[in-house]
Amino acid sequence: MDLEIDSSSFWLFLGQSPPGKPEISKCRSTEKETFSCWWNPGPDGGLPTNYTLTYNKEGNPFTYECPDYKTSGPNSCYFDKKHTSIWTVYIITVNATNQMGSNTSDPHYVDVTYIVEPDPPINLILEVKQPEDQKPYLWIKWFPPTQVDVRSGWLTLQYEIRLKPEKANEWEVHFAGQQTQFKVLSLYPGKKYLVQVRCKPDHGFWSEWGPEGSIQIPDDSTNTDTTMWIFVAVLSVVVCLIMVWAVAMKGYSMLTCFLPPVPGPKIKGLDIHLLERGKSEELLGALGCQDFPSDCEDLLVELLEVVDSENQQPMQVHLKEHPNPRLKPTPLDPDSDSGQGSCDSPSFLSNNCEGSQESPSIFHIPGGIKEPGNPEGNGAHTWDSRSTSVEGRVPYFCADGPKSSTWPSSQPPNKHNPRSSYHNVADVCKLDPGTAGSSATVLDKTDKCSLTSLETTETGGEEKAAEQRWVGSFHSKTDPDTPWLLPQEDTSVISAKPLDYVEIHKVNKDGALSLFPKQEESGNQTEKAGGLKTRMEYSKVARVMESSILVLVQDPPAPDLALFEEPAEEAPPSLSQNQEEKDLAAFAMTPSNYRLAGLDYLDPTCLKHSFQ
Amino acid sequence: MDNKGLSLTGGPYWLVLVLVSSLLLCKNVASVPTCPRGAVNCEVPLGELFDRAVVLSDYLHKLSSEMFREFNKQYAQERRFITRAINGCHTSSIPTPEDKEQAQNMPHEDLLNLILRVLRSWNEPLYHLVTEVRAMREASDTQKALGTQETFAMQEALSTQEALTTQEALTTQEALSMQEALRTQGTPNDILSRAIEIEDRNKQLLEGMEKIINQVQHGVRRNEAPSPWLGLQFLQKADEDTRLFALYGLIHCLRRDSHKIDNYLKVLKCRIIYDSNC
Repeated sequence: MDLEIDSSSFWLFLGQSPPGKPEISKCRSTEKETFSCWWNPGPDGGLPTNYTLTYNKEGNPFTYECPDYKTSGPNSCYFDKKHTSIWTVYIITVNATNQMGSNTSDPHYVDVTYIVEPDPPINLILEVKQPEDQKPYLWIKWFPPTQVDVRSGWLTLQYEIRLKPEKANEWEVHFAGQQTQFKVLSLYPGKKYLVQVRCKPDHGFWSEWGPEGSIQIPDDSTNTDTTMWIFVAVLSVVVCLIMVWAVAMKGYSMLTCFLPPVPGPKIKGLDIHLLERGKSEELLGALGCQDFPSDCEDLLVELLEVVDSENQQPMQVHLKEHPNPRLKPTPLDPDSDSGQGSCDSPSFLSNNCEGSQESPSIFHIPGGIKEPGNPEGNGAHTWDSRSTSVEGRVPYFCADGPKSSTWPSSQPPNKHNPRSSYHNVADVCKLDPGTAGSSATVLDKTDKCSLTSLETTETGGEEKAAEQRWVGSFHSKTDPDTPWLLPQEDTSVISAKPLDYVEIHKVNKDGALSLFPKQEESGNQTEKAGGLKTRMEYSKVARVMESSILVLVQDPPAPDLALFEEPAEEAPPSLSQNQEEKDLAAFAMTPSNYRLAGLDYLDPTCLKHSFQ
Repeated sequence: MDNKGLSLTGGPYWLVLVLVSSLLLCKNVASVPTCPRGAVNCEVPLGELFDRAVVLSDYLHKLSSEMFREFNKQYAQERRFITRAINGCHTSSIPTPEDKEQAQNMPHEDLLNLILRVLRSWNEPLYHLVTEVRAMREASDTQKALGTQETFAMQEALSTQEALTTQEALTTQEALSMQEALRTQGTPNDILSRAIEIEDRNKQLLEGMEKIINQVQHGVRRNEAPSPWLGLQFLQKADEDTRLFALYGLIHCLRRDSHKIDNYLKVLKCRIIYDSNC
């Protein structure tokens, strides 16, 4: 038996067949000098298939095979310059051959003239240029693809660029013509841009878009600033609106918060701190004193010497009568002025007293006014400490705040002593005698104000002695010519209004106020002076010693305030009752040291030691 | 009042002065024709001539390409006709560079004269092209019925310069499809308008080329005979298919030749004006 098996059937039986028909898919030229063709192989029929490309040229009867199967990749044919003719139709066919058979594609007619599609442009350059006074712009520069011969004019390329911010979806396309650079003016500052370029020959196809170039556009600071300021402005407006709304809603309470209401009148001499401390005694005392002036009689000195500016005569004013003026919170009462003019302590004080309390009171009645002439230790203590801390202690005149003291304090001139204008006797006394000069100097400076402020040049300065406050006595060891004697020189100035109040010099430990009694009571003859009407500090004069020495009454616990007024120029310092003979003598011995013009007053505290 | 009067009267004079001065100053603006028609001694710079020529040639090719595309869309399937149109251009007898090297090796004058010769060869065909397309439009308006059978005669007649080696007979099917296409589709207005435009621009380019040659060759002229076109008879054939094939051939060759001219001119421009450094 002969089985004739058809070979093809045999192979078919095995699942193999001649190749399928290939198809030429595409032919392209990148520079109109060479071109390539690609084909799609058909099914290979399960066998290794060989592909050949053959072609004919227009006007040429010969058939040629593909010169180069490799350069353009698989299933391709590359026609180099030698094999490429322009304005000529190529008829190309691909033949697929395998063991089973072969297959030929349809002829493909191609003219290189019309299949030019170049490569994308190369060497993309991006630059942000910022000329002066102009908006920055993006400068794009590129070069034609390497193979294309533009210089000879064989190919003329036209370009197109596209750009977009990195995050945008749409490209912004610009036709650039035949130039190889481009300026983009509409840019978003601060963004990163992506740029691409492509080209097209004058009668060909567009290339692919070139590689992406990116560039960061710098921020336009002006805009940023403007934006920032606008934001700040809007924010401020919002805040203002909120504030206005808040004020409207809580008007009064907010107002109170920002502008605390002016406090009502304060009880003079009533230390708030007392309230805080709960020292009812003192408080009551203070209150009592005010409310019941009559009760204060004990506390107050019977006599007050008030200097009346008008008549230049010291007026005796009972404290009772004018308790308030003294205690007036507003010292600025011309009437109560001791008559020394603007520099008078009360007004002066008020003017200058700052800080301690709303209105510097003429004097603070230290903690309870207990008894007259009963300066308590604490008063002295207070006084002592007064300079240091006003706060919780005893209210005192113009505790803090700079002021030019009417009484030149013994401290450096013009120093604002926290002390009240009423000189703290104690402080004064504390001063060294050496400072007398200074004080005198101070006096000089304040010479308008004939201060009877304690000039305490007197040593003393014992703390405890703080009794006499108002020792209007200037102990000036200096020359009588020293200026501070206002009274001497400027009586007119001196003619201040009399103070209608009694001055309390100190407060005892018990809270008693010790006031200086008026002199007259003790037969003082001071006061007069040529109008040395500075505020005076008075103490009770116990007796008069000798011709012109006054001995002041002094409380046992505390030295009496020695206050004396020297009728005569030379006025020996008054001596407290303590009759320290020596002291007296000392004082007396240096009458010249003291220049008492008009009324000269000794700071009792200074004399305290002499007394005790 | 006086001022006003002065300004009114002085204004026009001033304006005229400005215009005249601007005209004088702007003498060298490229867009303004520097040589009025009829001027004898006026000479436009060569660069300008080339620029204009290149613009024209580029435009001509674009028009030709569009017309070819339209024609194929409306009347024919390119693949079929192209088979038969190979080597059918009447200007094939003029030896032209077929690649860049040949073009760069050809001297200026030769190339210029070549261009001129090709352009001249197209004068007549373009005229008939317009006529034919116009007639076709008129014919399609009246719904002219197509003939039944096509012959190969037209093909043979078209290949005037060279014999066609292969020919394909139009089958009845193809003819019918063409008739159908003619009946269904509209009149080739765009083809006609483009044909008319091409004819005009071709004449313009011819003028420009003559000017260029005058300058380059300093008046030495070569009177080389243009290539004759012998396809007229086929265009006037009653057979629609024949006519269409003739048209196709014409438009196909026109597209190629216009591209050649454009390419040569651009090469010449870069070579002469920019010294091969475009």
